[in-house]
Amino acid sequence: MQPAPHHSCWKAQLSLEFGAKADRTVVLNRNHSGPLVIQKPFYPEGAPCHIYLLHPPGGLVGGDQLILDTRLRDHSHVLMTTPGAAKFYRSAGAIAQQLQTFHLAKESLLEWLPQETIAFNNTNAATHTKVHLDNGAKFIGWEIICLGRRASGELFNSGRFVQKLELHRETKPVLIERALFEGDSKCLSSPWGLANYPTAGTMIVMPANQHLVTRIKEHVEAEPHELFSVTLMDNVLICRYLGHQAQAAKRLFIKAWNIARPQVQNIAACMPRIWNT
Amino acid sequence: MKPAPSSSLRLWQLISPALPVGAFAYSQGLEYAVEHGWVNNEETTAQWITGLMNHSLSALDVPILARLYKAWQARDMERVIYWNHTLQASRESNELLTEDRQIGCALKKLLIDLKIRLASQWPETEQPSFATMFALAASHWMITVNETCQGFLWAWSENQVAAAIKLVPLGQTAGQRILSRIIDEIPDAVARGLQLTDDAIGATVQGLGIASALHETQYTRLFRS
Repeated sequence: MQPAPHHSCWKAQLSLEFGAKADRTVVLNRNHSGPLVIQKPFYPEGAPCHIYLLHPPGGLVGGDQLILDTRLRDHSHVLMTTPGAAKFYRSAGAIAQQLQTFHLAKESLLEWLPQETIAFNNTNAATHTKVHLDNGAKFIGWEIICLGRRASGELFNSGRFVQKLELHRETKPVLIERALFEGDSKCLSSPWGLANYPTAGTMIVMPANQHLVTRIKEHVEAEPHELFSVTLMDNVLICRYLGHQAQAAKRLFIKAWNIARPQVQNIAACMPRIWNT
Repeated sequence: MKPAPSSSLRLWQLISPALPVGAFAYSQGLEYAVEHGWVNNEETTAQWITGLMNHSLSALDVPILARLYKAWQARDMERVIYWNHTLQASRESNELLTEDRQIGCALKKLLIDLKIRLASQWPETEQPSFATMFALAASHWMITVNETCQGFLWAWSENQVAAAIKLVPLGQTAGQRILSRIIDEIPDAVARGLQLTDDAIGATVQGLGIASALHETQYTRLFRS
């Protein structure tokens, strides 16, 4: 007989639906099972709905699954963030998965601005973020991944982490990122890959134009020991970061967000309060 | 499918550096990598090119090229367009996307001149990737899928080595030594790529993405952006 597992697998699921009322975006529906919930919405800037996504266990082990399905109705505006880093612990073999799907109806805006994801050494994990945009829908988002925990001396030299991020306009794929981080892979150490940096970030703004690219290039500059770039693929803007710290990635992305948000939605950026704590 | 008697010759035509699509004008991040000292000799050049081939092209371009080939063979335009979009959405930067479309469009024009009927029916509203038109030519000329993918990697590698010879710079003989190393690795890179299931396709390479995006505004350039 197999020994009893130390931890029974968490399968958590959360569905959310948002809609625009006369004065602000509200939660129309929420369904959840398992430990994935949201706090009461905040309205620090009027109409936009600030949502903090909570996963009380704090981290995922092999076999765990977090599934988030979010719908934004026409003209709604949601900023979603997390209070702390998402953690993927070491795995004895089974895969831990985080799947999030966003459906953005026309003229809605989602800002998906989570804290970083930390992949512990020996993890086996996958995150998959899928964004479907109807005509006129807008998206600003970032994802930051830290491999290992350098601060406590833990390198990521074994394990596997797959990070997929895709945007579809109607039925057409407009951006697909699939990063594959394996502990023994040349991708981690080679200059065409992570160049030995433990932290990689991607930020997306859609729709965007060359003017926004130029402004971000002018105003957002990496420290000499890190890498940061901005590029435009059709109307999708992509910022990339490679460096040592999630904090540094967030600092650069927040600067870019401050420039992008007024252009995308004609309102100034409003920092979620929880980032200050 | 049995290859046609002339299919090998057709493959050589398709992968010749004389193919007038303008691929020679692009370095794909290599110029930035040289400027910043990431690539500075024969060894680091070989590692840059084989690394990208084994990690990126093998996991993205090869499996999609094979799917495009089969979609063309089945005259399934919906699938051709789907994989064409998927490939372009997977590019890491404006520069890489623009190159792919420009040489794809140039190859389409050439295939029309060579009387490949399906090329002239390509929808005006879509921009073809190079792999999309490469797959059309290969299926039309009955080159096998395996050879199509090997030829595609060879053409890409030869172009990268030619760029490195100018940029690093390297001697012609060093270039041939690097190509010999690449030849040893191409069969496996193709075999691995052909085994991938749809959901395992894709391998974003952040360093290349950053290098090619920063190359878009690099101060002095030999190669196009």
